Amino acid sequence: MSHLSTDRLAALGDEQPTPAEAAHIASCDACAHERDAYRSLVAMAQADRASLGLPLTRWDAIAAVLSADAPTVAIPMTERLARHWPLRAAAGVLLLAGGAMLGRASAGADLLPSAGVSRTAATVPAPASRTLRIADSAFSSVDDARAAQRRSEQLYQQAVAYLARYDSTATNDGSPLAYRSRLAALDRVISATSEAMREAPHDPVINGYYLTTLGQREATIRQLSTSLPTSLRLDSF
Amino acid sequence: MENEQLTVQRAIDGDQGAMRALWTRHAPHIDVVVRRLVGQDLDLAADIAQDVWIQIFRALPSFRGDAQFGTWAHRIAVNRTLNALRRTRRTAAMEVDVEDDSASVEPEAERAMLAASIEDAAARLSPGARTVFLLHDVEGYTHEEIATRLGITAGGSKSQLFKARAKLRVMLAHLLEAPSVKSQPHTTGHVAPLY
Repeated sequence: MSHLSTDRLAALGDEQPTPAEAAHIASCDACAHERDAYRSLVAMAQADRASLGLPLTRWDAIAAVLSADAPTVAIPMTERLARHWPLRAAAGVLLLAGGAMLGRASAGADLLPSAGVSRTAATVPAPASRTLRIADSAFSSVDDARAAQRRSEQLYQQAVAYLARYDSTATNDGSPLAYRSRLAALDRVISATSEAMREAPHDPVINGYYLTTLGQREATIRQLSTSLPTSLRLDSF
Repeated sequence: MENEQLTVQRAIDGDQGAMRALWTRHAPHIDVVVRRLVGQDLDLAADIAQDVWIQIFRALPSFRGDAQFGTWAHRIAVNRTLNALRRTRRTAAMEVDVEDDSASVEPEAERAMLAASIEDAAARLSPGARTVFLLHDVEGYTHEEIATRLGITAGGSKSQLFKARAKLRVMLAHLLEAPSVKSQPHTTGHVAPLY
């Protein structure tokens, strides 16, 4: 049998040879060599799938477009309610309880009713140290507070990114190794917060930690990217 | 990723923090798919990648969770990129075979053709051959799926793939061959191979 054709050898990168081809390859170093090279090529290509590249997109640019067509993204309220009724119910209970607590506080009562305290006792004015701070809050609603929280998180992340780039007193030496170490640590934090979110998926504090850590990871990836030569790809962290 | 479903649901509800979390987690994978398919034109790749992400978020309410979000987004990225490339006429010559100049390469020419990486080598293929190779060998699409997306036959897809591999095998010879094998002389008694 003559040597296998180039097309056939290329096909054997991920196909099985026929019995005749297998017999030839077993006795022909040149064809076996070529078949192995094509297998290596296919393996290299498959491994390339898992590699990561430098980011092409910026979140602020995507968010700007999405904000412009927000009505297109939004889904009907009825569907949202149906999909998240436990969360909505919990939020309703929270608002109800919060309103009751606010009412009690404004009346000078304890925030929570106590089974062992009589109705009369509950009307005793609270000490000054117990004054409910929410009465002085800058927030007019839960949405207002959430918006402020988002703004603060974004500002915090921007500040961290700015300091990472320009603060010469920072201990980070700006080396790829330092960024990779930070990424590894952030991944452990993400793993821990993910675990916590399984226990309390709607807890706003844990969600906040999780999203903040993701933001830090994103910023670190970008810093790592800028610390590497342009031609170097990020394929492991 | 147990909590990703929750993040997706929050993104569907319009939570920008959740959207950003999805983008943060998946952009390194999605963006690189776009860049691979587009090739060397990074400006075009960036434009298409942004378009891909906007499409992903616009289509998010239709995400049923049958597959992982990453898999679903990956499909959108491939389809959107191919459509964009078609619009820019970069795949107009999809049916044109790559020139089979991989045979009898002189040593000097071979050195000039050597590529630093598989991405570098793939970028030197014709758009059609590069697309078929990337979709099949890198992204894992079948020839039937490729044929549907590119408007060619499954046989045409195979033909493009094998010729693309033959060119890449030459360009990446220094990375594919083990030194012990590479140094072996060609001492066969029968017809010389075509490579």
